[in-house]
Amino acid sequence: MNKDLEKLSALYDGELPSKEMQDGLAEMHADENLKEIFQKFGQISELVQRHSDQKTPKVTLLKDYLSKVNPVMSNLVTAAATVMITLIVLYQFDDDRFQVDRDSSLQLSSALSSDQAKNQLLNTDQNIMEHMIHIMQSNQSHNSQQVSKNWIPVGFSVNPNNPNQYSNGRNNLFFHLENKQLGIKKVKYFKANNNWIYLIPLQDGRLLTAYGDIPPSVANPMIQSIYQRK
Amino acid sequence: MGISKGDEVLVNEIKAGNAMAFEAMVLKYQPKLMSSLIGYTKSRDQAEEICQKTFIRVWQKIDSFRGDSALFTWIYRIGINLAKNDFASSFSKASKVTESLDQNEHDVPQYLSPEIELIAMESENKIMEFIQTLDIDTKTAFTLREIEGKTYDEIAQILKCPIGTVRSRIFRARQLILEFMNQENILNE
Repeated sequence: MNKDLEKLSALYDGELPSKEMQDGLAEMHADENLKEIFQKFGQISELVQRHSDQKTPKVTLLKDYLSKVNPVMSNLVTAAATVMITLIVLYQFDDDRFQVDRDSSLQLSSALSSDQAKNQLLNTDQNIMEHMIHIMQSNQSHNSQQVSKNWIPVGFSVNPNNPNQYSNGRNNLFFHLENKQLGIKKVKYFKANNNWIYLIPLQDGRLLTAYGDIPPSVANPMIQSIYQRK
Repeated sequence: MGISKGDEVLVNEIKAGNAMAFEAMVLKYQPKLMSSLIGYTKSRDQAEEICQKTFIRVWQKIDSFRGDSALFTWIYRIGINLAKNDFASSFSKASKVTESLDQNEHDVPQYLSPEIELIAMESENKIMEFIQTLDIDTKTAFTLREIEGKTYDEIAQILKCPIGTVRSRIFRARQLILEFMNQENILNE
């Protein structure tokens, strides 16, 4: 019986070879119980997919991006579903405080309702995503340039073992500085699990990436200070 | 997103006039369509009527489906257009919009049973919580199939296991969920 039902499950998924499919359709047609189970498979799908849709309409997942640029990594991420790094690209930017890129904000908003727009967005921001993945893959220093001591928030001190890590005892903040801006003109910020990633273009053409468990409300004074500094 | 491999096989069978394949498609997508239509019309009776009309139209127009979109997307569009017509007709009795069915197309098989039960809201959370308790291998295979829409072959590559194992795990998940639904008397009232 279980074998029959397993076959029915594969029929439901359209995964039976042609001959087996014909047999499966005929068997189901003749058996009300199989029809009922087949329909219940549909009810389960409907439920699971609807709940999934409800959970993800406001975010762009890292695995969606990875499937485009790095299928191998995408598969790894997908397989580790329960420990997935879910990089959430926030679309509700606070324009007043961060002088964020409104075009990007609009793109993200439109991406919510359109797969095509979402793909365009991911293509547009490919370099940014690659940059963040590079940063997030490790807590090491990434050969970053030394950051200015003026940028460090009050109450944070450097970790003696990692010159790019700062802590106030509760929260950790990492800095990464490079001679590239990836086309970023205004501050962008993203959330990855409990961490926030801030991309701050500097006046001198470099890009400062700050990341850690520091929410925007706390990071705002630091970002304003750095962003406006000549 | 285009049509999935599994649905493509089903559609080809329906195009070839295989009424049993049509029956399978109705059983598979009726719950999802009903859920969408109830959301749109706010009326179960109206949703059932439109659902039935939709599948009649799907059967008649299946030859025009090119597979550029997912099968359900195409079905959904037909359903929503019919619902709009229905809505419009309720405001215009003089020019009532009726569903005209082309007589020269396929006869419609008698497999439509719109009286489908949907899972009650209060039961949904129980089922979703139960799915979270499945062992990781079973849950991962099931999730990759149902949410990511991966084929068995793709899942096998991701999980580095034989296709037969994928098939067993996905079935195992469905079987356990069905057992849970029976145990909780969901859909059996």
